[in-house]
Amino acid sequence: MIMYVTVPSSKNKRYLSGFDWVMGVIDHILKKTTCSGNASQIIFELDSPLESVSVQNSLNRFLKLFPIVQGRVSRDVNLAPYWRLPRKNFVNGLDLAVQHLGNSSLQTSISSLMEEWVNRPFRDENHHLVFHLIYTRSRKTYFGMTFDHRLFDARGAESFIYLFQRYLNDDDNTHIAEGISLTASADLTQWKDKFEAGQHLNRKIIALSKTSLKSIPVILKHSKTKKGFRFRLICFDMNDTERIFANAFEEAGYLMVMPYFLAIATQALHALFEKKGLPANSYIVPVPVDKRSSGDIKKDLFFNYASMFLFQIHVHTVHDRKTLIMDIKKQMYEQVQSSFPEILLKASALLRIAPVSFLKHIFRIPFEGKFASFSFSHIGRCSYQSSEFMGAKINNFFHMPRVPVPPGIGIFFNSYNGMLNIVISWLDGLVGDDDISAIECNLKKLLCRK
Amino acid sequence: MTIQEIENTLTKGIASIALKDESSLTSDIPFHELGIDSMGFVEILVFVEKTFKLQLIETDLAKKDFETIHALASFISKQL
Repeated sequence: MIMYVTVPSSKNKRYLSGFDWVMGVIDHILKKTTCSGNASQIIFELDSPLESVSVQNSLNRFLKLFPIVQGRVSRDVNLAPYWRLPRKNFVNGLDLAVQHLGNSSLQTSISSLMEEWVNRPFRDENHHLVFHLIYTRSRKTYFGMTFDHRLFDARGAESFIYLFQRYLNDDDNTHIAEGISLTASADLTQWKDKFEAGQHLNRKIIALSKTSLKSIPVILKHSKTKKGFRFRLICFDMNDTERIFANAFEEAGYLMVMPYFLAIATQALHALFEKKGLPANSYIVPVPVDKRSSGDIKKDLFFNYASMFLFQIHVHTVHDRKTLIMDIKKQMYEQVQSSFPEILLKASALLRIAPVSFLKHIFRIPFEGKFASFSFSHIGRCSYQSSEFMGAKINNFFHMPRVPVPPGIGIFFNSYNGMLNIVISWLDGLVGDDDISAIECNLKKLLCRK
Repeated sequence: MTIQEIENTLTKGIASIALKDESSLTSDIPFHELGIDSMGFVEILVFVEKTFKLQLIETDLAKKDFETIHALASFISKQL
């Protein structure tokens, strides 16, 4: 007897990867514990104003080419989750919020507006993007895009805005969407590999959870309203940035910028953990790594192409930066050698069978529910490759992500045009403004040594 | 293996790690100009160790040995 097996078709569907599903779980956790989901935003500081009508019309035309931005998570008959496109293109129209700043301090007003944007929940499950335009009393203008992390990762979001810029510059721009991956296989094969990867990952997590983990306790139960995230932006000019990178190469070695920044972030946060008297032996820090399979980032623009390293930093190494950097480099080497980020991706594909509401509980089993000590990322390569946006010169460009809860606090590094930016993101009430000022002071002191 | 053969092997491996076309890589281009970050750099280390059966950690590796494909090929040639 011949048995026919129906192979799920991916001709018209974009099945979600295991990591996309993990982002969905984080989104669910954040919606349950805070005022919004797993959103992030990118912000341009521009040297001159943009005409809001022109921005609105251009974005409207551009977004009509991408109905995928109004898709939603759904589950197929083969049980694999996928991204379902809306029946009608662009049903909700474009959201562009235009605001004018008054007399108050520019820095304070911008920060509070950015916090307001990222803490506002998306309208519904098909809504994933909101754009912002802020006019100040000077010519300086801010353009921002708040995005759902289930739709893009950070580099994908940068590329999307860059694609918009290219769309505006290109006379024949009707083909701008060509070459972008809009479908993906359900990846329902090689189960043995996936189960072995799951086993490997379990062993790693069990090994890591043998020592107690430092984490700031998140108390959510007694608050009447769900809390939002706060941001502190620290910008360095070109001279400072040059010195910081020279220090990184000198102390950590050629190209070893990520281990250096992770060491600095740990040292800067350590004082806060000590002050709070949190008893534990180590920090656990997940660090995202880009796993795109193509140098053409346009191809892998939508959804998530990241995996993670998991670093365990023993408290006794924190005060000695040389030892700390060596330890981080050694762990990175071991994880690359054992293909840990690839193993994590394979293992995460198994999670897709379970609903996010169930996985929320599973994620809290290791490390006594603490998940991680803090979030960290360093975007080494900027995917926005132009010095202007819609004709205005870009002064600076930065990311402001919400952070999984727990840990509810993160330090994020990115560079634009030879300038380093650091954003501290934290759940309101988790730590005080004076604690954040102390972390900022520590970061500046540690990074800018002569 | 000659230095040229080592360079060819390295070019293939590094092109795949840096997600570049082999034809766009020359042996004297510094790694940081290829957009290689710390993870890419460690991937190159692991690639060299597996391909040439070397334990780089146990060698007296210096920064100058890692700045270009040619410099790395010369270093590997001495170790083989």
